[in-house]
Amino acid sequence: MSDTSERITLSVNGISQEVTTAPSRSLLEVLREDLALTGAKEGCGVGVCGACSVLVDGKLMSSCIVPVGMVQGRAVTTVEGLAAEDGTLTPVQTAFMECGGFQCGICTPGQVVAATALLRECPDPAAEEVREWMTGNLCRCTGYYSIVAAVLQAAKAGQGESD
Amino acid sequence: MKFLRPETLGEAAALAREHEDAKFISGGTAVVLMLQQRLIFPTHLISLTGVTDVPGWREVRRTETGLRIGGGVLLSAVARSAHVRELAPSLASAAGVVGNARIRNQATTGGNVAESDYASDPPSVLVSLGATVEVDDGTAARIVPAAEMFTDFFTTDLRTGEVVTAVHVPAAGPGSHASYTKFCSRSAEDRPCVGVATAARLQDGVLASLEVVLGAVAAIPQRWPEVTRAALGRPLDEQVAQEVAEEYAMLVDPIDDHRGSAWYRREMVRVQVRRSLLELAGDGGAA
Ligand SMILES: Cc1cc2nc3c(=O)[nH]c(=O)nc-3n(C[C@H](O)[C@H](O)[C@H](O)COP(=O)(O)OP(=O)(O)OC[C@H]3O[C@@H](n4cnc5c(N)ncnc54)[C@H](O)[C@@H]3O)c2cc1C
Ligand code: FES
Ligand code: FES
Repeated sequence: MSDTSERITLSVNGISQEVTTAPSRSLLEVLREDLALTGAKEGCGVGVCGACSVLVDGKLMSSCIVPVGMVQGRAVTTVEGLAAEDGTLTPVQTAFMECGGFQCGICTPGQVVAATALLRECPDPAAEEVREWMTGNLCRCTGYYSIVAAVLQAAKAGQGESD
Repeated sequence: MKFLRPETLGEAAALAREHEDAKFISGGTAVVLMLQQRLIFPTHLISLTGVTDVPGWREVRRTETGLRIGGGVLLSAVARSAHVRELAPSLASAAGVVGNARIRNQATTGGNVAESDYASDPPSVLVSLGATVEVDDGTAARIVPAAEMFTDFFTTDLRTGEVVTAVHVPAAGPGSHASYTKFCSRSAEDRPCVGVATAARLQDGVLASLEVVLGAVAAIPQRWPEVTRAALGRPLDEQVAQEVAEEYAMLVDPIDDHRGSAWYRREMVRVQVRRSLLELAGDGGAA
């Protein structure tokens, strides 16, 4: 790699991190290889499948096509950062378990992060809105019904919480 | 490769002039793929994300004539903006069907225009609405009609150091109807095989103006004003829809790629132009 290394600071799951690396490396690679956060997966590597979904300043993105140089000073949340510190799962995570929203599980971290982003933006989505939003997260196992069911159940549970 | 983070437009433009093989990067959704595929070898990436002195860089503003969408505005924000939905609904639809939610959260208005990707949704809509592009190289600004901005496959009218600072879209006036239809040949979240952008204004039940622009069928958005002009003064009905669709299918010289052969694209132009115009008619245009 002829790329010049740079010191990049970013917050990951609320913890400030400093990495010295080529700024053109993907955020996904840095998360997995430098920071040992392997929740985000590499599926396609080109922004299509959603296996690498993370939140950057709260916005859902494909970490495989985000150069780490672009997240200098920004806040990244990965699937590891969703549950409470004591391990209590979020309504989305619980709903995926209860609805069987996964089989092999490789797409699941991305699905969970994507669903979390959706419910933050739109706490009470219609089934159609869920399907539309989640089309960007491919799953080769479930056939999607249980994923949509999980997101809708999480929406209900989340509402119960805030009521 | 060095990653540069200028804070002003002037600095960004000067860096681009100074380093011959530098490339601007906004959302990076196009630049990163080109880097991965080793299609480009820039010595410097000049990030436009941190530029702070372009007024309304990340804002959608209402102006006297319509809308000004800053170059740094994300496509997800274009799709959701109440102003865009009200004054340029077909542009909101086109931005809302780009790729997936993650791409729309990363890709910017300026990056989308500057990329001039033939398989893109927003460009044909910008042309159909008579949008103009504001560009600035840090010393002088100029306005380029969207119809002249896209010049060839991945090529624009932008000169070295010029940044797309905003897109101006005239507001839809009374009697205006516009739509964007994205036809995909592979999967729902794919890029378009054929895109059809329409914009019409009806007065006393007849067409006072009509634009039909095709996207994804050739290097740049395609339109035939002599065809749409022939429809003026007539109601937007089945016959007009059919005529325009037939003429467009005859005149288009479609590309052949993995989303469809030239023959298939021509047939889809015929079908999609007719459907788009009929839907537009149903939207309030029917005589
Ligand atoms: C998985 C995937 C799916 C996609 N699907 C679709 C789709 O369905 N429909 C569609 O329309 N598009 C699609 N796209 C393309 C996407 O819309 C473009 O890549 C995006 O709009 C480019 O914007 P950006 O901000 O990311 O640009 P960047 O990648 O940052 O830059 C693109 C180009 O513009 C230049 N540039 C960037 N900003 C400026 C500026 N302000 N002024 C001057 N030059 C600038 C850069 O130097 C570069 O040449 C898809 C992309 C991906 C990765
Ligand atoms: S690995 Fe990033 S979207 Fe597929
Ligand atoms: S659970 Fe296997 S790919 Fe989704």
